[in-house]
Amino acid sequence: MDAIELDSVCKSFGPVRAVDGLSVHVPQGCVYGFLGPNGAGKTTTLRMIMDIIRPDSGSIQLFGDPASARARDRVGYMPEERGLYRKMTVTAVLNYFGSLKGLPAGRLKAKVPEWLQRVDLAEHAGKKVEELSRGMHQKLQFVVTVINDPDLVILDEPFSGLDPVNQDMLREIISGLRREGKTILFSTHVMHEAERLCDFIVLIDRGEVVVNGTLDQIRARHEANTISIELEGDADFVRALPMVQAVKPDGRRLDVRLRDQADSQDLLRALVERARVRVFEIRQPTLHEIFVRLVGGDHAKDL
Amino acid sequence: MRKIYKVAEREFNETVRTRTFLISLLLIPIIIGGILLFGDKLAPRKDAPRPPVRVRVAGPSRELSQKIETVFQEYNQAHPLGSISLSVVSTPDERIEEQGKEDLRSDELDALAVMEGDLEGQGGAIRIFTHKPKPSQVDALGTVERLLRDAVIDRRYETRGLDRKVLEGIWNIPIRWAELGEGQGQERAQGQGQRMARMMVPFAFMYLIFLGIVGMGQHMISSIIEEKNSRIIEVLLSAVSPFELMTGKIAGLAAVGLAVTALWGAAAYGAARWQGIQIDIGAGLLVYGLVYYILGFVLFSAILAGVGSVCNTIKETQSLMMPIMLVFIIPMVVWPRLAQEPNGELARVLSYVPPTTPMVMVLRLSSGTDIWPGEVVLSILALIAGVLAALWAAAKVFRTGILLYGKRPGAREILRWLREG
Repeated sequence: MDAIELDSVCKSFGPVRAVDGLSVHVPQGCVYGFLGPNGAGKTTTLRMIMDIIRPDSGSIQLFGDPASARARDRVGYMPEERGLYRKMTVTAVLNYFGSLKGLPAGRLKAKVPEWLQRVDLAEHAGKKVEELSRGMHQKLQFVVTVINDPDLVILDEPFSGLDPVNQDMLREIISGLRREGKTILFSTHVMHEAERLCDFIVLIDRGEVVVNGTLDQIRARHEANTISIELEGDADFVRALPMVQAVKPDGRRLDVRLRDQADSQDLLRALVERARVRVFEIRQPTLHEIFVRLVGGDHAKDL
Repeated sequence: MRKIYKVAEREFNETVRTRTFLISLLLIPIIIGGILLFGDKLAPRKDAPRPPVRVRVAGPSRELSQKIETVFQEYNQAHPLGSISLSVVSTPDERIEEQGKEDLRSDELDALAVMEGDLEGQGGAIRIFTHKPKPSQVDALGTVERLLRDAVIDRRYETRGLDRKVLEGIWNIPIRWAELGEGQGQERAQGQGQRMARMMVPFAFMYLIFLGIVGMGQHMISSIIEEKNSRIIEVLLSAVSPFELMTGKIAGLAAVGLAVTALWGAAAYGAARWQGIQIDIGAGLLVYGLVYYILGFVLFSAILAGVGSVCNTIKETQSLMMPIMLVFIIPMVVWPRLAQEPNGELARVLSYVPPTTPMVMVLRLSSGTDIWPGEVVLSILALIAGVLAALWAAAKVFRTGILLYGKRPGAREILRWLREG
């Protein structure tokens, strides 16, 4: 049974098609990255999973349960637009959201101090939220998300706006949750975060899946076509070689992008004929490069 | 249900703790109490110093002008601070009247009284002229009229050979009102003010309902705007459905309103008893009042929840609130008519317009007039229909509007939500 199953989900806002026949299965116990440029439909999809908005068509299941409202108490959700009651105390906020998520008062009494301890907020338990610094506020927001000990944690752009210390803390907590067997789904447009944390990745653009799979699968599917070379002497001829699409200088090296179907070994042969080759490295494409290639053009700068 | 209760509980606790709430809770009784206690002090003082008023009387007979002079003299002696300077010109003459008008216009005179005809007999009249009287003189000018009248009446007694003392003895009939208590021998003297206060009782009931609904309903707007502005809404919606959130808020604020209204009501009742006004509040009225209040509150706050959800700032809500408030305020404007004719056409019609039903029905029920019980049932049914319609529409608008930031959606878009939702 998958933690989340989306089957051909569609959602339009007026004339705008935000999500267009999206099908994604998130297996339990993994960290799943939900990637895409701004406006790709990430937030809309996450909101539909949380039953905050309803899809026009298609089905959404959480833990095999079609009524996602019922399964919602097992989920922790941190939206992109996030905030807390400014006039309430730290403890009161946690108690409130914990009890809304169905946690009995007895469990809350133990859980709240435990989490506050874990994120170094114990001494601020009695303070009002508005008295907290920005960094502390971010920590508290995260504790609110996981206070109900959820089996599935959904984070919408969790790293945006975090300071480096809290980014590390969040990464640690995500890894910790994963070790406990929880499922984590997070959206981001920061590729290296996804590369570092995710087991599975789905890239969506304009409401549709562009690529989907484990990091290795995606990498394997998108064979390297960038080669880093360093030659002795004049390297101007490289640009004119038939298999080369583009050349970008990178310090003393050159980044050579091959044409589709071209073989890197042909390039090596051609180079050896004309110059001495010091470095010839077939680079594993980064997620960033893969996505720029897939989404391309105007969207690339958002990634 | 449990989640609705949790939302309501927080709403209650947080609202009760805000400063605006405490101020509004205390302010209204303080204002009313202040008016009761200091009302006398604020009323115009009879002996306040004021600039002398210059009066010229033209055309009385010699005997009458004597009377007039005596009367004014007595008045000036009794009121040294607000004297009236009098000049009498006995000859009735066109020229004197014209001269007097001239003096009025050049501000050498404040009032000109011209005696006409056989004043001492039966006919005749007094014409009083002024020119741009100052507001501070209006009171004194009234006194001038009274003094002139007294003088003429005095003179008329004389011409008819009547003894003023005897007549005064005939006129003087002391009347003492008293209100009986339940037990034997329990009596309390009653002034006119207390009898007036009695007339206000139905209005007081209506006003209480009005304050409880409209005053407390405002908290709905600020509560929603706060959640929108602090970006809490989406966090909340991951735990509760929009409908649970909305109903929880309504329930919590209704509880606050109920507590406050009960408190104000009890305070007003206590004050009335202290002032010796007995008010009969039947159990029936209390039960009906409770039903009407709760339904009215749900109606109003559901509408406000819809309004608040599509706005981003309190300021934005105000333009939308205007037309809504106008409807809810109708009973406050037309209440004298309703109090006079609790079974009149206007009262009957307004009893079936859901926004005005609670206030109008409470006013009618507390007016002491018999109301056909069927009307009560029908008005409650009409109100329930209104509440359900408002909840249905508000839930749809709330669900979509609450996630929108930025530009406020137009009427056409909101109508689309209602159709689709």
